[in-house]
Amino acid sequence: MLKLEKLTRKFGENIAVGNATIEIPDGQMVGIIGRSGAGKSTLLRLLNRLIDPSEGQILFGDTDIAQLSGKELRAWRSDCAMIFQQFNLVGRLDVITNVLTGRLHTIPTWRSMAQVFTPRERAFAIQALDRLGMAHTALQKAETLSGGQQQRVAIARALAQEPKILLADEPIASLDPMNAKIVMDALRDINKQDGITVICNLHTLDTARQYCDRIIGMQDGRIVFDGTPDLLTTAMAREIYGAEAHEAFNEAATSTSIPAAQPVRELA
Amino acid sequence: MGIASLSALDETQVAAVRAEHPGAFGGIGHQIRRWAPWAIALVYVIGSLWYFEIWKLADASERVWDLLRNFVVWRDMADWQYANIYKGIAQTLAMAFLGTLMGTIGALFVGFLAARNVMRIPLLRHVVRRFLDILRGVDQLVWGLVFVRAVGLGPLAGVLAIFVSDLGTLSKLYSEAIENIDRKQVEGIRSTGAGPLAIIRYGYIPQVLPVFISQSLYFLESNTRSATILGIVGAGGIGMIIIERFRASLYDQVAFVVLNVLVLIFAIDWLSKRIRLWLIGVRHD
Repeated sequence: MLKLEKLTRKFGENIAVGNATIEIPDGQMVGIIGRSGAGKSTLLRLLNRLIDPSEGQILFGDTDIAQLSGKELRAWRSDCAMIFQQFNLVGRLDVITNVLTGRLHTIPTWRSMAQVFTPRERAFAIQALDRLGMAHTALQKAETLSGGQQQRVAIARALAQEPKILLADEPIASLDPMNAKIVMDALRDINKQDGITVICNLHTLDTARQYCDRIIGMQDGRIVFDGTPDLLTTAMAREIYGAEAHEAFNEAATSTSIPAAQPVRELA
Repeated sequence: MGIASLSALDETQVAAVRAEHPGAFGGIGHQIRRWAPWAIALVYVIGSLWYFEIWKLADASERVWDLLRNFVVWRDMADWQYANIYKGIAQTLAMAFLGTLMGTIGALFVGFLAARNVMRIPLLRHVVRRFLDILRGVDQLVWGLVFVRAVGLGPLAGVLAIFVSDLGTLSKLYSEAIENIDRKQVEGIRSTGAGPLAIIRYGYIPQVLPVFISQSLYFLESNTRSATILGIVGAGGIGMIIIERFRASLYDQVAFVVLNVLVLIFAIDWLSKRIRLWLIGVRHD
């Protein structure tokens, strides 16, 4: 159980996330929606502690994640894997080494400095890649892959961490519909098969409706909606997206619905 | 009034127009502003040359021809002590290589301490940077003199001089390369729970390594040249041989040594270019 208690992050005067209070049970797939700048990314980065909170608590079990530092903080990051809109792979390292960086938390310093990984670790990395259908690229440099392939490698890196929670920050916003569908299917599969909690920032509404058990809507740093997809009315969605509503409902470029197979739901 | 020809203008008409539009004719102030910089530059150059006793050049011309003749007319080539010369060249190369290697290894650590995005404590970063400024601000040749005094004549002084001045320059260049990297890749590694050293090893190093290697190769090249000069102040290598034979007026031998050094520098130039290209090629396979 992940519990946010009045979690707040300010950048100067600007409140990026204000008073966020949510409970997320283990194994849920949560979609966070909202227009650009609503605080979705900040919220996710707070959970992984890539950004420090200004106020409030993040409770996982009995531990307050907001208070962790040093070794314990890194252990938390390892438990709480993250994938990014721009994939954030190390371009000049080969794919398998990128996946193996998911193990860095557990291996001793001398081994990580010398880039020595055990056969067991390598096999584990290959298995993770294989699950995403990417094992054949193991020896290529990450920068030579296409966007969709890079995102699948990034998911394999996250799996190599053996995480309890998987955070995905706009995982499909840089992908074409076909790859977006592959990535979202993979996240859904990881959520169902491994029981890993998945928290996913999504820009488009239909993707959130299609894949998530629960949708959280954010507006100007505040949580304005929290419920199952069927509770999210068109009026509510319009309210959340404001001026971007048209884009969010129809933008085929970042949508997982491939028009030919499945028409975009008409909400507008 | 129609357009008259130029020759039809008389003085009174010119004066009348000048009275009406004084600006178009350029006053005395305008003339001064226009010509003064040239006059000042001319006076400065002539004055300086006079101060540096330029006429000595004319006196020297006879000796210059003598010198040039001695450079190209090679005599008694059998007893030029070639072993000595090539040992000196090898020593110079070894000095440049060892100094650059040590400077590179040192800069690998110091560069990170001086990079804004790695070293988060501003005070420590500034201390490191000012320290590097001192290493860089003093010329390599001066470091050579200092180390000759400290450890005596010989190649060790040269190695240390190259090491110290390269540490200053390479650390600065490295730290700038580090500051220009892609933050996203680092964030990706950080998000896995990797420790600070692992973040540097996997997030930073793969991105900056090609830049580091190419800069160090350039320094190896440049240091082979400057190691020659270091020898002249007594810091070992071929420079020492050059200055000894120069003082003994063995100009033909000096010319021979300088030609050999040129060949060496061309060779290193070519080799390092090949290595650089090979590295870049690997990056885009």
